[in-house]
Amino acid sequence: MDQAVGDLKQALPCMAETPTVHVEVHQRSGSTAKKEDIKLSVRKLLNRHNIVFGDYTWTEFDDPFLTRNVQSVSIVDTELKIKDSQPIDLSVCDIALHIFHLSEDGPTSENLEEETENIIAANHWVLPAAEFHGLWDSLVYDVEIKSHLLDYVMTALLFSDKNVDSNLITWNRVVLLHGPPGTGKTSLCRALAQKLTIRLLSRYRYGQLIEINSHSLFSKWFSESGKLVTKMFQKIQDLIDDKDALVFVLIDEVESLTAARNACRAGTEPSDAIRVVNAVLTQIDQIKRHSNVVILTTSNITERIDVAFVDRADIRQYIGPPSAAAIFKIYLSCLEELMKCQIIYPRQQLLTLRELEMIGFIENNVSKLSLLLSEISRKSEGLSGRILRKLPFLAHALYIQAPTVTIEGFLQALSLAVDKQFEERKKLSSCV
Amino acid sequence: MAAPEPEVVFPAAVSDLEWYEESEETHAPQIELLETTSAQEPPNPSESFCPRDCLVPVVFPGPVSQEGCCRFTCELLKHVMYQRQQLPLPYEQLKHFYCKPPSQVEDLVKKKPWTTAETNSRKCQQTLAELESVLSHLEGLFARTLVPRVLILLGGSVLNPKEFYELDLSRLAPNSMDQSLSTAACLRRIFRAIFMADAFSELQAPPLMGTIVMAQGHRDCGEDWFRPRLNYRVPIRGHKLTVTLSCGRPSIPVTAWEDYVWFQAPVTLKGFHE
Repeated sequence: MDQAVGDLKQALPCMAETPTVHVEVHQRSGSTAKKEDIKLSVRKLLNRHNIVFGDYTWTEFDDPFLTRNVQSVSIVDTELKIKDSQPIDLSVCDIALHIFHLSEDGPTSENLEEETENIIAANHWVLPAAEFHGLWDSLVYDVEIKSHLLDYVMTALLFSDKNVDSNLITWNRVVLLHGPPGTGKTSLCRALAQKLTIRLLSRYRYGQLIEINSHSLFSKWFSESGKLVTKMFQKIQDLIDDKDALVFVLIDEVESLTAARNACRAGTEPSDAIRVVNAVLTQIDQIKRHSNVVILTTSNITERIDVAFVDRADIRQYIGPPSAAAIFKIYLSCLEELMKCQIIYPRQQLLTLRELEMIGFIENNVSKLSLLLSEISRKSEGLSGRILRKLPFLAHALYIQAPTVTIEGFLQALSLAVDKQFEERKKLSSCV
Repeated sequence: MAAPEPEVVFPAAVSDLEWYEESEETHAPQIELLETTSAQEPPNPSESFCPRDCLVPVVFPGPVSQEGCCRFTCELLKHVMYQRQQLPLPYEQLKHFYCKPPSQVEDLVKKKPWTTAETNSRKCQQTLAELESVLSHLEGLFARTLVPRVLILLGGSVLNPKEFYELDLSRLAPNSMDQSLSTAACLRRIFRAIFMADAFSELQAPPLMGTIVMAQGHRDCGEDWFRPRLNYRVPIRGHKLTVTLSCGRPSIPVTAWEDYVWFQAPVTLKGFHE
């Protein structure tokens, strides 16, 4: 236990002078090398490359042992906290190495056996899962949402490890993310689960992510829904009993489960619905006592959620549509990907927003394209993350239709696609 | 299901016969086990039986070869899949029925939409192909490394299976130079013990589930079909049946197994119903 607490402390950002740098080592799926051996080699690698600027990923190594056993070594999440990216001297930092294997089995389903039918009530992933690899990095937010969430859960786990009396200091592990659709709430939950699993691998052997299908908990039989909820949570309880596992319970669109009580009072909702709300609330109270469980919930319409539930959530984080700066980052990652796949050819270097700032947004040969992109980003403000990630595809489909395109041509198409999005939106709203 | 040819008569326990037949052709140095040796019989199996966790100890009067261990694993896998209704017939029978010349099947497919019999036959062929590939790769694994433990996981996920079946081979002495027992005789002994323990009769009929095979092997055995699962730990919940084999000789000390890690077959065997 003491050692586990030590590990946690290491994982927490400490206020001391030596900052902790997290290094994630993705071990090849066929590799059987011992963790200690890999750690040794990675430390050697990091010693050779002492100074890094922000996040960095190695995928090619001089060391044949690393080439054989390791997919990538990444310095991660240094940019979440430090806004002005200074060079980081690894020799003075605490380095936390996280070595992980991705689990390639897809999701499995948790079934609830009723007498006559089999209801699939939840999807179940073993983390870290290959499906969610890279998801964390693809989510771009302005404020430090990601690091807040990470720190918050770390603190909660530390508190439970230290056995802080929960009657004196109340905390639980319920997170509620809310905001307009398409802003990446569900993705963020999954990515957070993946991230935490990797960070805490030294303490828990693996993570489990259970995604509850809220609609399937409503039974067709009157008065049975509450029982279904109880059955579902019974299954989760079984998973929690395994102290080696860090269990994440994700309830998407939580309002569908908990919106009902007010409506019930108004007489528009059958009384069965109120039982579901009550069952969910009591069950959440039941499982949140365990130290190895984190409950993640998302909602589009916060006003409709039961107050009793909102109260229970410790962290209520609003996730809004991305700002121009975030949009720029999203576009940049999209363009990088298209250049990697050689759909945009020839390859051209684009500047990041920070680099643009440093040269004071002066237009020259180097910055011309990036300035155009930042122009498009400003224009796209108000679009959701989901649409933004779709736009490069739409731009290609609508305005290019060629196997390769120059970056100038692509940016033009992208700009047209953005205009079209706004036009369509206007039409939609005028219809309504 | 395809109509069985009338001239083929299937005895109830066809796989039993298989073992007898094959016993003659297996390895040259053999000590035929006398069926009457009751000295090494498991100490009253009915006592060690409990409904959820079932332990079946089997003691052999001599060493067993690696090939023998592989056979035990394969036969247990076939047996579990049939007993737990993932296969409608025992493996050998299915193979007999459905291994038709492929051209015949293809012609039918082209001419008219699939009848249920044809879809069944396709499903069955796929299941058989998957099972065969696992069986053949198991042989490869056993040839590469000592395998102290094998798990057959049914339903759920690798970490939380609904049922799991464990074959503990770690207490068998390593394959020494001296003669090993006849594989067929050992198989008979194992399955008699399993039948005596009555492990399958009181389970309720399961739905179709995925079957995953896991085996422990040496870290450096160079296996490339099975995927290593370094973090894996044997699950604690789910219905469990453990078959432990031992041979009355000092076994390999536990510390020697430290470098043995879990490997998972990369395919999930999907059963089928008719």
